[in-house]
This record gives sequence, C-alpha cells and structure tokens, in this order.
Amino acid sequence: MATLDLQNIQKSFGDAKVLHDIDLAIRDREFVVFVGPSGCGKSTLLRIIAGLEEATSGKIVIDGQDVSRDHPLDRGISMVFQSYALYPHLSVFENIAFPLRVAKMPEPDLKAKVARAAEILQLTDKLKLKPGQLSGGQRQRVAIGRSIVREPRVFLFDEPLSNLDAALRGDMRVELSQLHWQLDATMVYVTHDQVEAMTMADRIVVLNGGKVEQFGTPMELYHHPATKFVAGFIGQPNMNFLPARVCGTDTAGVAVEVANGPTLTLPVDPEGLTPGDAVEVGIHPEDLTLGDGGMTMKIHVLERLGGQSITHGHLGGTRICAALPGTAPIREAEAVELAVAPSACHLFDARGRVARRRDALALVA
Amino acid sequence: MTGLAEDTTAQARRRVPVRLPEGWFAWALIGPAMIFIGVIVAWPLVETFRLSFTDANLGGESWVGWENYADLWGSTKFSQTIARTFFWMALSVSLKLVMGLIGATLLNATVPGRALFRVLVMPPWVIPVAIGMIGWLWLYNGHFGMLSGMVQKIGLLDGPFEFLAYKNSAFYSAIVADVWVGTPMVTLFFLAAMQGVPKDLYEAAYVDGASRWYRFRRITIPQIMPVIVSMALLSAIWTFNSFEIIWILTEGGPRGATTTLIVDTYKVAIGNYKFGEGAACAVVIVILLALFSLVYLFFLNKVNRRYGNK
Repeated sequence: MATLDLQNIQKSFGDAKVLHDIDLAIRDREFVVFVGPSGCGKSTLLRIIAGLEEATSGKIVIDGQDVSRDHPLDRGISMVFQSYALYPHLSVFENIAFPLRVAKMPEPDLKAKVARAAEILQLTDKLKLKPGQLSGGQRQRVAIGRSIVREPRVFLFDEPLSNLDAALRGDMRVELSQLHWQLDATMVYVTHDQVEAMTMADRIVVLNGGKVEQFGTPMELYHHPATKFVAGFIGQPNMNFLPARVCGTDTAGVAVEVANGPTLTLPVDPEGLTPGDAVEVGIHPEDLTLGDGGMTMKIHVLERLGGQSITHGHLGGTRICAALPGTAPIREAEAVELAVAPSACHLFDARGRVARRRDALALVA
Repeated sequence: MTGLAEDTTAQARRRVPVRLPEGWFAWALIGPAMIFIGVIVAWPLVETFRLSFTDANLGGESWVGWENYADLWGSTKFSQTIARTFFWMALSVSLKLVMGLIGATLLNATVPGRALFRVLVMPPWVIPVAIGMIGWLWLYNGHFGMLSGMVQKIGLLDGPFEFLAYKNSAFYSAIVADVWVGTPMVTLFFLAAMQGVPKDLYEAAYVDGASRWYRFRRITIPQIMPVIVSMALLSAIWTFNSFEIIWILTEGGPRGATTTLIVDTYKVAIGNYKFGEGAACAVVIVILLALFSLVYLFFLNKVNRRYGNK
C-alpha cells in the first residue's frame, strides 16, 4: 500500500483562498479522516488528492513519488462519492466492473475480480440488479466495490454515509472499519460528522477555514485539543466553555476564577498567561458531576437517554450542558449543584489557544 | 340519548348539499377541450375518410367506393413517392440527430462565451420557415447565389450551378435546408438532457481512467437515450410532414424529385382540385404515421426499460 504526503497545498478559487498551506504526512495503511464544518475545505482537499481539482501550489506525494500533475489513474487512487455516482443504466456487475472495462481487462480476470469484490461486500446475489433496485446501503457498497476492484494505493471517500439514515449509518461505519482492516489499505475519508471521525479514524485532521487546526488520534483530539475550535468540535455533546479570569500562576498550575463559579487551580502550563487575563475553561459535559463544586446550574431541558441524563441549562449567563448519570435525581426547572475535577478542565486563552495540560492522560492510540 | 340522536340528524340535514350526478364536474372540465378537439381534429378526420371514398372536386361529389385507393395501389408513381418520402425522412432525421448530438456536446462544454453560442444556435428555428427558405432560395440560386459563387471560386465548377434545377441536387439541397431548420430544437433537447446527467458520474469515470470518448459513449449516450428516441420519433413525424420547406424551395420538382407524400397530397387535392383522391392520399399518410408511431412507441418502451433506473 502507500504513504500519502501533502506538501504546502494551497488552493484559491479566484480571490477566495480556500486552503492555506496544508502539510500532512499520512502513513501507510492509515485510516485518516478529514473533519470540519461545511465550507472548511475538506472536500476540496480530497478532490485535489484525487486529481479532480488542481492545487494552486504545493505537492501531492504518494509513496515518495510526486503525482501532483498526474491523471487520477496514474496516482493509483480511487474515490467513493457522496452521491455514490453509480451508472443507473448499468447492472451492479457492470458498475463494479466499470474501471476494469476501461482498462480493457480480459473477461475471465474481470469476472473473478468482480466476484471477489461482491463477496467481500455481500453483493453476490445482487449483481444482476440495477442500482435503482437497491437500498441506500447496498448502493453504497456497490460504489465501494467499484473502488476495490481497482486495487488502488489510496482509497478516498467523500462523505459516503451522509445520504443514509442514522441506523444504517451506524452499521456502515462498522462495515467500513472492517473493510479497512480487511483490505489493509491507506484510506482518506471526509465527513462533517465528528462521530464518524472519532469511531473510524486512526488519525483525524480537523480543518477550519482552510487550515489544519489539529492532526492527531481521536484520543489526542479529545483529551488534548490544540485549540478551542477542536475542543468544541470533538465530543458529543459539545464541550462547555465557561468565561473565567486568571488570578494567579504558580508551580501547581494556573488559578482561575470561573464566572458565577468556583476558583480552580488547573494543572496546566502557565506559559503566556498573566493574572487578570480573560480566559475560558473548557469542560466536557461528561466531566461534570453532581456535587457541591461551587457551580449552580439552572436546568432548562433534561434529556433522559436511560444510561445518561443530558442536562441543558445555564450557569449564570452561560449555557452549559452536563452528562449526568441516567438515574440522577434531578428535574427540569430546578437548580442543581455541579462539580468538576480541576485535572479534567481545559484552559483556552482569549485567542482560542490551549494551555498544555500536564497530567498526560493515558492516550489510547 | 335522544338529544344526541336529534343533534346528529339535524347536522346531517344541514350538510346535504345540492348534489350533481357523479362525474358531472369532471365532464364539465373536460368538455370544452373535447368540443375543441372534436371540431378541429375528429370531424375533419372523419370527413377526410368519407371524402376518400368519393370523387369530390369543385363540381360536386359522388361515391366511388375503393376506387381512389385502388388507383393509388396500382400507381408506380405513388409507390415511388412513398419510397422517396421514407428516404427523405430517414436521411434528414439521421442528420438532425447527429448534428444535434454534436451541437449539444459542444454547447455543453465549458468554453468561454457559452451562453452566446447557445443563443446563436436558435435563429434557424426561430425565424419563420418561409423567410428562412427564401434565404436558402437565394443561396441556391445559380447566378446570384453565394453557394454557386463559392463553388466556382474554389474551382470545382467553371460555370454557375442551379442547385434546385437538377433532380439529385434539388433533393439533397432540400434536405440540407430541412436539417438547418430542424437541428436547433433537437440540439436544445439534447443539451437539456445532457445537463441533467449528474456531474459525479463523469468525475467517477474520469477517476477510473475513462477517456472523453468512452465517457460520451458509456455515460452520456445511455443517459440521454430516452430523449434521443423521443426526439427521433418527433422529428421523424415533422420531417415526414415537412411541407413548406419543399414547397417554397422546389414545389416538389424538378420532375417530382422532391415530391414527398405530403407535397403529393397537396398537389392532387388543392393543385388539381381532386379532393377525393387527395383525401385518399391523406388517409394513407395517417395510416403510415400511425403504424410508424406504434413501432416507435414499442421501441421507446424497450429503451426506457433498458436505460432507465429500474
């Protein structure tokens, strides 16, 4: 299989610069997910890798070989489209066989390859049908089948699950992860859904406004987000950001006074922070617990999921969300006392940069 | 209990509307259109059938039974006209389809000034046919026409050439004019169909290494096939019945070389006042086109099944 290096990729459409200096080194057999809000440039970046768009500047290197000017075929990539892009007039067999027909592969080899792909994707009994007769998930598999038979060096996926309903999306996530394991291939996957990114990726690239915010494993992103943007994007429900003020720094860390809340000493590097600075304390909803921690939350909406009670409310003037135990004895329109462990908090300066957390949590790689 | 029962009967009484017979409203809606079609389509058609069994002319009419049809059946001139009509139709329609495909493909390409080109395709179709044909008459004119002049300048001929004066050249010149009129609409329909083909399909094929020609053959053509077949049928009927183009250019001449069925019918019925014989010709046209349409619809159905989604 293959490594994929992006070197200083820039892309402009007219005056609009959509990608700024993207530098990424994707390892052999890695499953990398590009995630970010719509318009962040993730699909454009994928299309540049595919060769459907040309970068304004920069290089695409696959297996040490500069392929920036090469035809997609010579790059050794294959792509699965958001719309599946199946040929409606061709049978499932012919859809999967399409790239091989283009390559004028002899019939027996072609049949064997299609049969093998169909077997991997459980489409063997569907080969004679037309795409219109298949369900969304099956169409998705045909599109994947078409990219498998090419035996590409790098698989590209452009939001392949976004047209499926929630239940099917969950199933397909598992299937795609299995497929990655089975094919042992380098895969680049674009999505706006952080759950897909977290569950499938070996490493995630978080893109925002055409820039890489962070490139790391899901656990790195969760426990050590580099910026407030990443922290707010990763995790479900989203991280809470509480306005605070630095009241002192010492060897133990940074002491902050949370507005309408307690004063906490966070075990983070105080670098660049001085007393009086306006900062924000980031807390994952699941790190908030019931208890007298100096935070009084007025509950507005309570979502009982069974295992968890997602509690939405306000802390002073700030919206806050807590993921409390399923059986937590709380009610809507009531106030509840919350606590948080200082070591679970993240600290962001006024520009959204994170203060490094000292207690390196065990990272699940 | 009784109170409740009284209440509901009172409600029911109140609700009884002025009920018109079932379907009356539907007939009222369809009626005007039916009367319209009856007057301008059905009645003339029935009348044509009736006339075809008479020897109607300016002086009156009497019933002659199948005589008009028997005359047509026995006439070599008439069978030649039918053959000529089908050749006219086949050649002209093929050219319109091919030109339409080429035109639509070019107009669908991303080139600067594409909108302008799209507008420039329209004139032959927008200009009234009669005016367009007067233009072609001048182009084909031997002494003053541009074509004759150009041919001489290139050195292909050393004297003026009257394009419409000779049997073969008149026929093919009329075909060219007919294609000129008919191509723009075919082009626009093909263009609309091509624009409906999802861009993703082309991108997917491109990534898989398919050449332009391969993509055209394996994606564009199958995707727009239902439109191609529909346009083939429509323009076949129009071309079959294309009257004014031929009439203005050649009036069916020279020596019948451009006389198609529709021109022949006009000549017999209106030119020679033989309404009965003309009606018989018209009935033959109706039957031929009906048969032709049936075969075509069967074919269209097949194409839709093959290239459609299901």
